[in-house]
Amino acid sequence: MASEVVEVEGHIIDSLILAKILDVILDSGADYNMLDFQIGRTSVDPSRARLEVTADDDDLLAALVAELHIHGANRVSTGDAVTAFADLDGVLPEGFYSTTNLATEVRLHGRWVAVANPEMDCGLVVRPDGQLRTIPMHRVRVGDAIVVGTEGVRVRPMARPRGPSPFEFMNSDVSSEKPKELLVSQVAERMRLARAAGGRILAVCGPAVVHTGAAPDLARLVRAGWIDVLFAGNGFATHDIESNVLGTSLGVPLVGSQPLEGAHSNHLRVINEVRRRGSIAKAVADGFIPGGVLHDCVRLGIPYVLAGSVRDDGPLPDVVTDMVEAADAMRELIPGVAVALMLASTLHAIATGNLLPAGVETFCVDINQAVVTKLADRGSHQALGIVTDAGLFLRSLADHLVPA
Amino acid sequence: MCPPVHFGVLYEINPWMHREVKVDADRTREQWDGLVTNLRAAGAEIELLDPQPELPDLVFTANAGTVNHGVFVPSRFRHAERQPEVPHFVAWFEKAGYRVRPLPDGVSQEGAGDTLPFREVFLSGYRLRSDAGAHSPLSRLIGAAVRPIELVDPRCYHLDITFCPLDDRRALIAPHFWDAYGRKVVEALVPEPFALEDEEVLAFCANSVVVGTNIVMPSCPPRVGRQLESWGFDVAVSPMDEFQKGGGACRCLTLALDVAVGPPAG
Repeated sequence: MASEVVEVEGHIIDSLILAKILDVILDSGADYNMLDFQIGRTSVDPSRARLEVTADDDDLLAALVAELHIHGANRVSTGDAVTAFADLDGVLPEGFYSTTNLATEVRLHGRWVAVANPEMDCGLVVRPDGQLRTIPMHRVRVGDAIVVGTEGVRVRPMARPRGPSPFEFMNSDVSSEKPKELLVSQVAERMRLARAAGGRILAVCGPAVVHTGAAPDLARLVRAGWIDVLFAGNGFATHDIESNVLGTSLGVPLVGSQPLEGAHSNHLRVINEVRRRGSIAKAVADGFIPGGVLHDCVRLGIPYVLAGSVRDDGPLPDVVTDMVEAADAMRELIPGVAVALMLASTLHAIATGNLLPAGVETFCVDINQAVVTKLADRGSHQALGIVTDAGLFLRSLADHLVPA
Repeated sequence: MCPPVHFGVLYEINPWMHREVKVDADRTREQWDGLVTNLRAAGAEIELLDPQPELPDLVFTANAGTVNHGVFVPSRFRHAERQPEVPHFVAWFEKAGYRVRPLPDGVSQEGAGDTLPFREVFLSGYRLRSDAGAHSPLSRLIGAAVRPIELVDPRCYHLDITFCPLDDRRALIAPHFWDAYGRKVVEALVPEPFALEDEEVLAFCANSVVVGTNIVMPSCPPRVGRQLESWGFDVAVSPMDEFQKGGGACRCLTLALDVAVGPPAG
């Protein structure tokens, strides 16, 4: 998407010039957002309108802006962005530009430069080579050139997803009253399209994926190459391993009936054994972990980040217990992600949502509508909530993508 | 007005102009003198601008600029061929005691040819010769509202070929030569419009000069004449075919100096 701000003034209401300009914009397939509109008090006073015009691409926009100029609307010129040097490590200069997760461009030396890695709630740093990146507060170093104020910064609104899309199908971002089978088939189609376009697929998993018996279906997707990155916590990894080593998830047999005597400590014994081996990879290598999602990730070299939390048992040796480090590790794996599946996870899903650029298609599957709504509310522009049991969802998704 | 001593088709900046078509100097003078006679008979007083060699279109004084309440806003011509006319117009208006207020750089605006008063506003043609962007500064300079009308046919490159205000209620209009928005603007502004047929427009019927209830026209088909007479106008016809070779007629050869729209500008 491309956008420009144009301004038109004069007797633009009585002369229908404003109506014409708006029609010209819409007829060209572009869209507008009225930023400011001042109506003249008397018939002699001019009125003034300032519009942000957005089009699918730069060429269309340039042609449109030229046409609008004929009708008296002029591009509003913008100055270069202002930068200030950081004077403390880990601290942004006062008045820093606070980012959104939308595609963002900054005007430097008269040229619009795209931000390489959009992420919300960060600063913007201009590297000595002219590259422009988002920078989380803790990574700021003395002397970094940080964009301050909003002058010379523009945010490009989201393009509509191309191709048949569940986003169009859904009237609201969250619904528990839609046919799930249709949604699942559309999610599968979006994954196929993303993959065909070279995009990567991220799965963010909560422990309920294992409790609901869906881990084998997720593993099926991993083995078939449908998952490129995995984010989870100590719980998901522990139960995935527990279920493959002992056949239980938090002591409950996944196949069979009753809880087993003394099985409540199964997960601790498994964590202990993995800790003894030093890492999940080593536990896979020596045969302690015979199968499961993490087993398959290790075998296939699929990168994962296990982020810790304050209530973790153990934790497993792979769990990153420094939250700042964990977020940085997740950031490293986000470039190229086009589709994110948030599966029965609240904290990891929201943490991931904060890191993702707005353009990543995010499907949040949870039995609890509140989680789904919370994620959609956090400004993930293409987040679709699917209120359903993660186990049923994953089984159906795997059946679509990896037919038996 | 400016006597047609140096008039001719020396370049081509509108679809009417063809350099190979020569103008007849005697007929030109005859037609211009006839126009002056008809205008004086209608009650007009006429001021003259000295003709200048190499400025054949200086005769089309309607394009000198826009006049309102003793303020003169000189034109900014789109074509380089006519730009050298501007200092001559400015000098005349300065000498005559008008307040000369220039438009900002970077916009084209071709004066009264594209800016015609109706009741409390000016209608202003744009796209072919004048820029839409000029209407807002022009409005500030002349102290009156200006409503732009998009012109869509290069043969009618100035508004004064498509619109002739007659009085506070009536006007001759050529709606086919405006875009849909322009038509609506005129429809809302003019209570009793008379729409000209395309061939009447292309015979420059609307390029007429109104003095009170007298109207001096380059041609007047019976259909138009009957309507004008039923409204109480007296029509005088001044043939203009020599000047039409340059794309102008009666109105283009004149510039009204007594325009007073809205309250006097400060």
